[in-house]
Amino acid sequence: MAKVKYTPYLFLLPAVLLLLIFKMYPIVLGFKTSLYTESFIGNIESFAGFDNYTGLFTDTVFWKSVYVTLFLNVFINPIQVVLSFILAILLNKKLKGISLFRSINLLPVVVSLPIACILWNIMLSPEQGIVNSILNFLHLPQQPFLASQHQAIWIIIAIATWKGVGYWSVFLLAGLQEVPDSLYEAANIDGASKWEQFKNVTFPLMKRPLTFVTVTDTVTNFLLFAPMYLLTKGGPQNSTNVLMLESYNSAFVYSDPGRASAIVMLLLILILTIIALQFRMLRSKV
Amino acid sequence: MASTKPIKEIAYYALHILIVLAIVSPLLFALVSSVRPLNDIFKYVSPVTWRTFIPTEITLQAYVDLFKEWAFGTILFNTLLVAVATVLFGIIIGSMAAFSFAKFEFKGKSLLFGFVLLTFMIPFEVIAIPLYRLIDQLNWIDSYYALIVPAVANGLVIFLYRQFFMDLPNALIESALLDGARWWKIYTAIIMPLCKPVSISAGLMLFISQWESFLWPLLVTHSQKFRVIQVALSDFTTEHSTLWNEMFAMAVIAVIIPILILLPLQRYFVQGVTNTGIKE
Repeated sequence: MAKVKYTPYLFLLPAVLLLLIFKMYPIVLGFKTSLYTESFIGNIESFAGFDNYTGLFTDTVFWKSVYVTLFLNVFINPIQVVLSFILAILLNKKLKGISLFRSINLLPVVVSLPIACILWNIMLSPEQGIVNSILNFLHLPQQPFLASQHQAIWIIIAIATWKGVGYWSVFLLAGLQEVPDSLYEAANIDGASKWEQFKNVTFPLMKRPLTFVTVTDTVTNFLLFAPMYLLTKGGPQNSTNVLMLESYNSAFVYSDPGRASAIVMLLLILILTIIALQFRMLRSKV
Repeated sequence: MASTKPIKEIAYYALHILIVLAIVSPLLFALVSSVRPLNDIFKYVSPVTWRTFIPTEITLQAYVDLFKEWAFGTILFNTLLVAVATVLFGIIIGSMAAFSFAKFEFKGKSLLFGFVLLTFMIPFEVIAIPLYRLIDQLNWIDSYYALIVPAVANGLVIFLYRQFFMDLPNALIESALLDGARWWKIYTAIIMPLCKPVSISAGLMLFISQWESFLWPLLVTHSQKFRVIQVALSDFTTEHSTLWNEMFAMAVIAVIIPILILLPLQRYFVQGVTNTGIKE
């Protein structure tokens, strides 16, 4: 195999080149941008050191946005992981026609988040939405939904959950299918209750897919952007103004790429910290 | 024991049916609304009667108008072109890189593979803004390049192929080498025909992600000429907010095309998804 000196590099070249240019370089560029301020006249950039970052720390809009992002994630991630797990367990039952349920469960995978948002938005319209009309039919009080600063974030959680849970359950279902039946039979013979079986057989064997789903789901939700952009523009009263939207607005509405990049860099650090914590927790829990 | 089992089964079915209702209700709502005459769409919403759920008059006018008046053909063409081109180039470039990782020993291999893993852990949203500036410098704003090229190299696709190639016996390659085959020939004539299942999984992933992509085309395309379906739909809802039936028709098409592709191939999709998530 002496003559294969360059061959492996040639096979790698296109992919590595494209990844370098369109994945790695933008990160470097983003960090660089976060260290500069751009003047309003012309395209003159001036080095600002960490001014963009220190500016954020005294910025109340930024802190409110940090709060909203954390609030969203404290609820949405456990909700989605638990629901996906329950769904996967239900889809793992040996029932007639289960493959039909599994197929239907995949449908939201191909409904993009923007479409899910647009459809739910119409159904949840306070005046002419079908949900309020059904509530009325059931003699329940009508709701403002996205127009309320207390409900908006929960509606976004619900829509993202509708879209996401089916996808995450695919990973967990595959994990459940790899748990050998003999383990349950053995546990049955030992007289273990359903809950004990879940705790001592299912859960430990599901750690790897659960960790994967938890971490990827968390990353996805920290970057959740389309529902706020399409439905609330961050409102009412900034109650859904997550960091990703604040960054987008900084870049494209307020033409402040320095601030936008600094927010993204801080968001990246926040995400990495939380992932590290999750890895620790899920590894140690028996 | 015998009497509790059917009750349990009924309970499971009931739960499943509830979940199915939750999943399909917005989709059915869009479908039903898209075939109603414009004036009927909100007419029967309140109070709730059977007419709320079942259309009394059916018309396909919205679908016709979409193509006739809103150049929906161009939008559909753009979206398909971008998705198909990404799938084709993505599969070629990704499998080539994976072939190299799986079947060669070379200097810097683990470093380069680490780099590939790193790139697929970087979420796209994080690099979207600097990437936009890069595309702007390349003068690619409002072009197919902007939509396709950054999405072609995908760490996940490389990872998927590598998994598969590692399981292929080396003897296969060695005997071809003895016959005097070139590496390129081995890759195109022996390796690639064997990995159809992975190609389908990887292709589906790339197709769906391009079909659903919204933020990126929103940033890099401004003219009608390069509109893709997700951006077109969100524009339509804000600019023509009274043309409900056409909006619903557009949403139905945007959902039905990937469903028709995914459902017959769902086995491969599930395989691909789980191979990235569960195995090392």
